[in-house]
Amino acid sequence: MPTTISFNLNGSSVSVQAEPNTLLVDLLREQLRHTGTHVGCDTAQCGACTVLLDGQAVKSCSLLAVQAQGRSVATVEGLARSEGTLHPVQEAFIACHGLQCGFCTPGMMMSAAALLAENPRPSEEQIVQALEGNLCRCTGYVNIVAAVKQASTLMARSAP
Amino acid sequence: MSATPAVLRFGAGHSVRRIEDPALVQGRGCFTDDFTLPGQTYLAFVRSDRAHARIKGIDASGALAMPGVLRVFTGAELVAAGVKPIALAVPFERPGGGFSAPPKRALAHEVVRYVGETVAAVVAQTRDTAAAAAAAVTVDYDDLPAVASALSAVQPGAPTVWPDAPDNIACESRHGDVAATQAAFAGAAHRVSLDLVNQRLAPSSLEPRSVLAYMEGDKLTLRMSSQMPTGVRTALADTLPGRNADNTRVLVGDVGGGFGMKTGAYPEDVVLGWAALQLQRPVKWQASRLEDFVAAVHGRDQVSHAELALDAQGRTLALRVRTLANIGGCPSGSSIVIPLLVGPWVSTSIYHIPTIDLHISAVLTNNAPTGAYRGAGRPEAIYIIERLMDAAAREMGIDGAELRRRNMLRPEQMPYTTPMAQVYDSGAFEKIMDQALALADWNGFAARREASQRAGKLRGRGIATFLEWTGGGALEEKVSVAVTADGFIELTSATLAMGQGIATSYVQLAHDVFGVPLDRIRVLLGDTDRANGFGSAGSRSLFTGGAAVRVASQRTLEEGKQLAAQALEAPAADIEYRAGRFEVAGTDLGIGLFELAGRQSGARLVVSADSKAGAPSWPNGCHIAEVEIDPATGDVQVVAYSSVNDIGSIVSPVIVRGQVEGGAVQGIGQALCEKVSYDPDSAQLLSASYMDYAMPRVDGFTAFKTEFDQSVPCLTNGLGAKGVGELGTIGATPAVVNAVVDALAATGLGRRAEQVQMPLTSEVVWRALQGDLPAPLGIR
Repeated sequence: MPTTISFNLNGSSVSVQAEPNTLLVDLLREQLRHTGTHVGCDTAQCGACTVLLDGQAVKSCSLLAVQAQGRSVATVEGLARSEGTLHPVQEAFIACHGLQCGFCTPGMMMSAAALLAENPRPSEEQIVQALEGNLCRCTGYVNIVAAVKQASTLMARSAP
Repeated sequence: MSATPAVLRFGAGHSVRRIEDPALVQGRGCFTDDFTLPGQTYLAFVRSDRAHARIKGIDASGALAMPGVLRVFTGAELVAAGVKPIALAVPFERPGGGFSAPPKRALAHEVVRYVGETVAAVVAQTRDTAAAAAAAVTVDYDDLPAVASALSAVQPGAPTVWPDAPDNIACESRHGDVAATQAAFAGAAHRVSLDLVNQRLAPSSLEPRSVLAYMEGDKLTLRMSSQMPTGVRTALADTLPGRNADNTRVLVGDVGGGFGMKTGAYPEDVVLGWAALQLQRPVKWQASRLEDFVAAVHGRDQVSHAELALDAQGRTLALRVRTLANIGGCPSGSSIVIPLLVGPWVSTSIYHIPTIDLHISAVLTNNAPTGAYRGAGRPEAIYIIERLMDAAAREMGIDGAELRRRNMLRPEQMPYTTPMAQVYDSGAFEKIMDQALALADWNGFAARREASQRAGKLRGRGIATFLEWTGGGALEEKVSVAVTADGFIELTSATLAMGQGIATSYVQLAHDVFGVPLDRIRVLLGDTDRANGFGSAGSRSLFTGGAAVRVASQRTLEEGKQLAAQALEAPAADIEYRAGRFEVAGTDLGIGLFELAGRQSGARLVVSADSKAGAPSWPNGCHIAEVEIDPATGDVQVVAYSSVNDIGSIVSPVIVRGQVEGGAVQGIGQALCEKVSYDPDSAQLLSASYMDYAMPRVDGFTAFKTEFDQSVPCLTNGLGAKGVGELGTIGATPAVVNAVVDALAATGLGRRAEQVQMPLTSEVVWRALQGDLPAPLGIR
């Protein structure tokens, strides 16, 4: 029996019909066509599907769509503040060559964004801890860690 | 001549922002599963849960009765309809003559030969229905005894995977001179031997395989994640009745990592094509991670007994290697060519080893097929020689770098022909090593070991000096350049982007020639209706395709000069080109490149050019790792990693650094944690998720010191570039293992430490520290 789910997606209200067993990631990708959130495994290990739920980084493959009811979901599509102005995390990933194939990148950036929102000046150890749930096969993580550090610097500089 | 225009700061040799990145960081990538077509259906596979069994019957009635199920396909039905197995051409034979291996069918027929083999396919209106219906298909099996490894497959009395190969050997290769090698060993002052396991790995691109098959009129079109669209089109045309190159098309958008796993055609691709033809509707299949673990190709899986003979001064006299390569149950051509030919090509690496005797058997087992994984044959061969070099150095009591130095080929020996008849055009191996030794502070190791010891850790140092063959055996590339009236230059190539930033490098090369802003240059890849070729694999794209970009761009300007001369009514010899504009020398007469294109038929100026590299390139490097072992747990940390790499001329400095370092982490993964495991009795896959298969994670992240020496350009292609994609992976594994062995040997184990086998998990290392070391493999 489909049920109606209403939540805030990247700042806009959405209201959709979904089956009770629909996963949040499938709702986002299939029904809402937000295909920037990716699925890289089936055991909640890779983190490619990471989104923010009320600001917390969560694996959207491990949540039912109905669990988003009344809450706020942010995906990679909502990371840029506006057209033409990338989020510092996006800027830093480009500048530091923090991505190669780009498949893990949305989840990686959402984990990084959640970390920086909570802890604007993380240590390297804290960055590593925050990204522990995200797999990348291309970069060897070196430039990803560098990108999160640079994003932290960029955000500090642009802070009021 | 004025100074270089500012705009050329973005050309070859300069670091630029990748053109791939803005879309990818905003979630606007075009991965296969991101596409949905009207009327799209979903396909799910029924896969064998047995390693080896006879199919007695398949009952699909339960599945077909489910609402929303459209079709169920079986192997028997495909055979009856004339769908052919995927062909493989193999230039090797069995000991008694002939090549023999089971056919690679789209769906298994009569017998299944590995867990995960495709048995049936269900098409339904939704993904969930397809999955549920696939689970409702019942297959009646008669179990057969299974062989779980190459070593067990060659034991007398082992179960047989394929009746025509009763000894489970599909074919063999023998390279070198048996008698001369025997004589060299007999007269040698030093002989060392090692049993080496190069374990099975899962390439694990983060994007699993995916296919969306549909009809465009009569044209069967597959949108998919592939490194070789032309090869897939050829396989579809060969296997599916009525299909040919003209009525079959393969499209590739963004590819979420390849690493060799997305080369060639899979059985699944053929099924998707067949399903779209039968249903005349779009059919999508998105592999789960489980499906890729069980049925995408695995890499490596070779066991070797390797021996090196040296004279009293430590100069190598001969290399002898006996290898069993596990090719799985239904091999492809690359399952065989990689271990039997590609690996041997680099077996003597950067050393002068006058005599070799290599004997490699391709062994059928009830495992998934092996195939290309980053390095493909070369990591295995380099691992063997670099482990032997350290063993010989330890045996003779001399420094590992010094022993290597005594055996290295010198620049004045170039071009050098190896015992495998391969020709190295260039290389300054000793110079590369000396820079790496300095970068790593090789001579300051004793103090660092002491410091580690004070902190309760065991420190080891490992070196690998090596080269690799590149090009994938396909040295020709064609690139088309189209200048359009609306102000763009389009480059079309059959090479593929899969994270290596090839589009950015192409744009930089074209920018050097045209002098127009980077955002005026576009790259079109991944459409067999536009361009065909080998694809992207074997570290070949830049030195073949990039060279073709340069040639085609230059020809476009030559053509443009002729056309500009006509338009400006001036002699062609007087036409000069600068930054998007043709001008008559010494006048203010001129015409813009794009305006000129607008005056041509179709408002486009189109020039295609072929470019052929004269030979494979031979990138090389020296990688030095230092590790710390916690003796209480056996845990290994890579605490320093320095490398100097010769990849010839560099187009994109930031990209090649990313290739070497990212590749090195994959190599470290093999050294320390990754392993595909099959149950030794049942041949069931034990490592079928990221919970069982240990991928490198961010916590093992290593601070790299990575340098490049561009003073030795490749002499056999127009760019002077050498391949780079696989270099880090090849060097890292032996460097890290040598470092761990060094640390273990220093605890009093001495040469016994060399018996450890990858992956060097904390358990393996802890056991070694207790004196518990693996037994010899007993390879015959």
